Amino acid sequence: MAQATLQRIASGDRGAVKECLDTYGGLVWSIARKLLRNSDDAEDAVQEIFVDVWKNAGRYDETQSSETTFIAMIARRRVIDRIRHSARRISADSLDDVMLEPFTRADKAMQMSVEANEAAEAMRTLRPEQQQVLRLSIIQGMSHQEISDATGMPLGTVKTHARRGLTQVREVLGLGNGGHRKEATV
Amino acid sequence: MNEEVQEILFDLLTKQATNGLDVAEQGQLDKLSASGDFFVGDSFELAAAAIGLSGLDIDEPMPAHLYSKILASSDKYYATEGFSEAEVMSEPDDMQPTFGFEPKRSSWMGWFGWAVASVACIALAVNIFSTRVQKPIDVAINPTPTASPDKPSPAKQFEEMIASANVIKASFGPAPKGPAELASAGGDVVWNDAKQTGYMKLRGLPKNDKAVSTYQLWIFDENQDPKYPIDGGTFDITADGDVIIPIDAKIAAKNPKLFAITVEKPGGVVVSDRKKMAAIAQVTKTET
Repeated sequence: MAQATLQRIASGDRGAVKECLDTYGGLVWSIARKLLRNSDDAEDAVQEIFVDVWKNAGRYDETQSSETTFIAMIARRRVIDRIRHSARRISADSLDDVMLEPFTRADKAMQMSVEANEAAEAMRTLRPEQQQVLRLSIIQGMSHQEISDATGMPLGTVKTHARRGLTQVREVLGLGNGGHRKEATV
Repeated sequence: MNEEVQEILFDLLTKQATNGLDVAEQGQLDKLSASGDFFVGDSFELAAAAIGLSGLDIDEPMPAHLYSKILASSDKYYATEGFSEAEVMSEPDDMQPTFGFEPKRSSWMGWFGWAVASVACIALAVNIFSTRVQKPIDVAINPTPTASPDKPSPAKQFEEMIASANVIKASFGPAPKGPAELASAGGDVVWNDAKQTGYMKLRGLPKNDKAVSTYQLWIFDENQDPKYPIDGGTFDITADGDVIIPIDAKIAAKNPKLFAITVEKPGGVVVSDRKKMAAIAQVTKTET
């Protein structure tokens, strides 16, 4: 049922909207809260995200990703956009926050999404510094410059680790053709 | 297009997926996309989303008022926009269908161990205690453990396991910045990776009122993000002196690096806020 939600929204099934909210409301709320760290901002962002979800429901392709990952991608786009248009930046002491945040039972977290597990497994194949950069960037929401400041890595090195790490993860996830030359995929 | 240009494109796609692009960068990406030499799909953003999910706690539902507001706005959206007018979020149309993904993705599952886990472990100071021998009290199994002909008591099993080779051992000490009433917490933990069994011998933990709170063990192993430790089970302390607690790992633990005990609500929790850390045992080496 969950895999059909976005297609049903795209076809005008309003019941699917409620189903989408029920299924992914917590996910979208958690992404917004995690990255924006402000409930008011998060509430505004979540409303915008769901409008984006409805608008883009017809673009969802279940052969490419799960609905969870697709909606998480839409949520991240909107949140990143809000962060870029606000003065809020995450301070370098977020490195400490990583260690101080509440922890969740692994068995619960592992149920979240197959792709999340695959991504986690893919991350394990990366070099430690690549893992660190992607973790601080994607999970903690730090900019490349902030990561450079916090870790002491040169900015160019941070960018290189991010690019190589993310490229490798997407290839492991079977997403590896985006950005490739056309002739290579014909 | 040469490799240098592809690298620039990948840099832009990476930045888009992680931090977003400024106007100039977006223009550069649009120009590269428009060249027609590359497929520019969502693969970097989807990969970033999947990584983000792997580090996300979904432990808080959307606020009810927000849920209602969004549901109400959906009516407005359908009335004014119409589902047939679904529009592109940010990319031109010709960029969207060109994922170029492989329809069949790898099917491997599992979790991973952050190298950061060991850093987290090291960051937590552990007070080494001197071993005392007192009358063991098995809280989780029996108030006073007794051996049976078929199965040795937990206390006996603990002693046998901790004396054996190829097990992981560590000493409990009070958690840094822990509450005063837990300042004398101590004990030992032993874990057998192959058998997936283990025991704790604890002392100094105050008796808990089962109706109010419980103790919960967390196992940080090499495969887990330190944010997602393994639930090692809940237990109550009902007597003074040493207590033997069997470890009840909810999923397989491999090469644990740290054990932590928290005080939680009855029944335990899925997400620990770590507001009340009772004790920590850091593994320094594996006995072989």
